[in-house]
Amino acid sequence: MRFAIETVNLHIYYGSNHVIKGVNLQIPEKGVFALMGPSGCGKSTMLRTFNRLIELNEEARIEGEVKLFGKNIYSSDVDPIEVRKQVGMVFQYPNPFPHLTIYDNVAIGLKLNRLVSSKEEMDKRVEWALKKAALWDEVKDRLKDYPSSLSGGQRQRLVIARALAMKPKILLMDEPTANIDPVGTSKIEELLFELRKDYTIVLVTHSPAQAARISNYVGFLYSGELIEVGPTRKVFENPEHELTEQYVTGVLG
Amino acid sequence: MRMDGFKAIAIVAVLVVFAVFAGMLVIYFTNAVPAFHRFGIDVYLKNIWNAAEEPSREAYGIAAAIWGSFYTSLIAVLIVLPLSISYSIFVVDYAPKRLKNVIIILSDVMGGLPTIIYGIWGAFVLVPLLRDYVMQFLYDHLSFIPVFSYPPITGYSYLSAGILLAIMVTPFASAIIREAYEMIPYTYREAAYALGATKYEATKLLIGYIKPAILSGFILAFGRAIGETVAVSLVIGNTFNLTWKLFAPGYTISSLIANQFGNAFIYEYMTPVLYAAGVALFIIGLGINIIGLRFIRRWEENVKL
Repeated sequence: MRFAIETVNLHIYYGSNHVIKGVNLQIPEKGVFALMGPSGCGKSTMLRTFNRLIELNEEARIEGEVKLFGKNIYSSDVDPIEVRKQVGMVFQYPNPFPHLTIYDNVAIGLKLNRLVSSKEEMDKRVEWALKKAALWDEVKDRLKDYPSSLSGGQRQRLVIARALAMKPKILLMDEPTANIDPVGTSKIEELLFELRKDYTIVLVTHSPAQAARISNYVGFLYSGELIEVGPTRKVFENPEHELTEQYVTGVLG
Repeated sequence: MRMDGFKAIAIVAVLVVFAVFAGMLVIYFTNAVPAFHRFGIDVYLKNIWNAAEEPSREAYGIAAAIWGSFYTSLIAVLIVLPLSISYSIFVVDYAPKRLKNVIIILSDVMGGLPTIIYGIWGAFVLVPLLRDYVMQFLYDHLSFIPVFSYPPITGYSYLSAGILLAIMVTPFASAIIREAYEMIPYTYREAAYALGATKYEATKLLIGYIKPAILSGFILAFGRAIGETVAVSLVIGNTFNLTWKLFAPGYTISSLIANQFGNAFIYEYMTPVLYAAGVALFIIGLGINIIGLRFIRRWEENVKL
């Protein structure tokens, strides 16, 4: 079986700090894979190896392999920019560019990578992405406004649209609802339900409840080690490891 | 709150400072009145400088100096802007930590140096250098372009003044732009790179994010350049020209005051005219600083997103 993402003996260090300790993880294609664990367990760090964004941090050192669809993205012939074009990312803090209009925020990735050739194609793709992110109806009359006029939840969906516009196969989400109010959160979760049919979504969350609600598969990361991984239902109903049980029942973390 | 000794002293000190400032403004305006009375608004709009023993034959208009102030400051900020943006990017993104601190301190020292130091160096080193290697070349090959068409005989010119001002003012604009660039939240940096941006593209995007800060850096730099006196009067040539030609000597408001002030007492109307020039400088400086501070404030509000 070919996996969307596969890590082979992945180690990450920040200086002398050993953050991820030999993780072997397989993430199947399509669906939501939730990577859960308490704060500081290394899940955001690990997520940033899947698009090599971790390299922005000069202290970070990576050992092992990360394969996207079978290809090791850390081999020397791979350009990180090419990787990032195929992997969309959504962040903990909704971060549309405040100085770009709603339209331009969606178009920016396409412009940077010259993925469309005409204004019409761009308009179409922006509309498509905003519809896909369930934001079109709310912003179609004010595409020229700035994101400061949007609510937190809307901004996060705008960021999702920005990522989707590039038609990635994989979507990385780093606690996308951590800074969003409950209404906005449930809208984003509904959206993930929709998107998981077409995309491989890796969702980092510190909330076991959220993982249980929307993921197909779940991995439990605890102080840099992958404790347990499997279909969500199985992990929650019948965890093999004691730590996992403590975590999902709320005793831990 | 109770009135204690220290508070009383502090209040008095503050009042004295502001009283002196207010008094100074009053003096400026009242002493300028005879000039306005005699020449009207022409004192700002005409380019004429007839000093005569006979007051009825005196005629003054400082348009050339006002033009020179704007023109040299404009040349300066056009040079300052790319310099200080590159400086900010280098300091924040590339310089190793130790070098970074050294550069920032150096830049602050540059901004604090007495301006006469720049002036002497400008007059004896920069001007001949510019004349022999830049102006002469441009004049020889490109003099069909009007701005290059003035023969660079002495080298004392708008261009020399503009370039010297640029060197002097860069530290100020750099500090504003660097701070803004440093303050960009990390998450926007991540967002840019996650979209597949190259380092150049990401930097361009982030520079767009701090555009208002760049604009206010631009305006404040302009404000500083227009007020600068000593260094400029040593390299501008002090001539009543009113032209776009870069290599022509000219005047600025402050260099005019500094140059004419010594013998102004001989003439009936020259002193009031110099006061009127001071008033113009005050109004221009005030206006520019208000606009600059406004932009900074608006930017701070936007960033709160």
